[in-house]
Amino acid sequence: MGVTATRPGTADAELAIARIEELSADLRGCVVIGADGSVLAASGEAEGWAEPATLFLAAVDDAGGEPAAHAHVATEDGEAFAVRHGDLAMLAVTDRFTLASLVVTDMRMALRDLANGEPGRNRSAPERAPAPPPPEGGEGEVIDPTERMG
Amino acid sequence: MPPKPHRVLIGQLSGYAEEAAAFMRRRRTTRKPFARVHYAGGRSASYPPETDEGRALFLAASKLIDAAG
Repeated sequence: MGVTATRPGTADAELAIARIEELSADLRGCVVIGADGSVLAASGEAEGWAEPATLFLAAVDDAGGEPAAHAHVATEDGEAFAVRHGDLAMLAVTDRFTLASLVVTDMRMALRDLANGEPGRNRSAPERAPAPPPPEGGEGEVIDPTERMG
Repeated sequence: MPPKPHRVLIGQLSGYAEEAAAFMRRRRTTRKPFARVHYAGGRSASYPPETDEGRALFLAASKLIDAAG
C-alpha cells in the first residue's frame, strides 16, 4: 500500500466524497477518516459518523489482529465497506446487493486521488482532437496504373 | 418450415434474460449476511456472525449503517 504524498484537507476530502457520491448509484453515505482518526469529510453531518466509523475500523482491525486493506460487511439492512490507502481511510454504506467490487474500486480510486492531491479528478476519456482537414486538391494524387508498366 | 432467423435471435435473447433474472432472484433469496476482511498481500478472511470477531463486525457495521440513515 502506498504512502500518502500530501495531507489532504477538509475541502479536498469533500471533493472526494462528492466524486464517489456521483459514481456510486447505490451509495447511502460515506466518510473520509484522516491520519489522526478524525473525520475529514462526510455525507451529511460529520458528527454522526465519527463514533460508528471509529468503531467499525477498530472492529475490522481487531478481527484479524492486523490493519485491514479493505473490508465488506453485508447485513439485512445494508452493506458497510471500509478501504484504506496509506493513513487515510474511507467508509461507505450502500443498499443491499450492490456490486461490491465496483464500490471498492470507486472508493480506492477516490482515496488514491485524494492522497495524491487530485480529489475529484475526472477520469473520463479525453476529448478527441478534431480531425485534420483533407489535403488540398480533393482526394489526392490519382495514379495511372499503366504509367509505370513496361 | 424453419423459423425466421430474427425470431431465433429474439428467442435466444429472451432466454438469456430469463436466466439472468432467475440468477438475481436466487442470489437475493439465498445470500446470507457475511463479513469479509482483506489484508495487505492478498490474504482475506471471513468472519461468521457466530464468532466473536463476526459479532463485533456486524455490530459495528449496523451502527455505521444507522449513521448513514
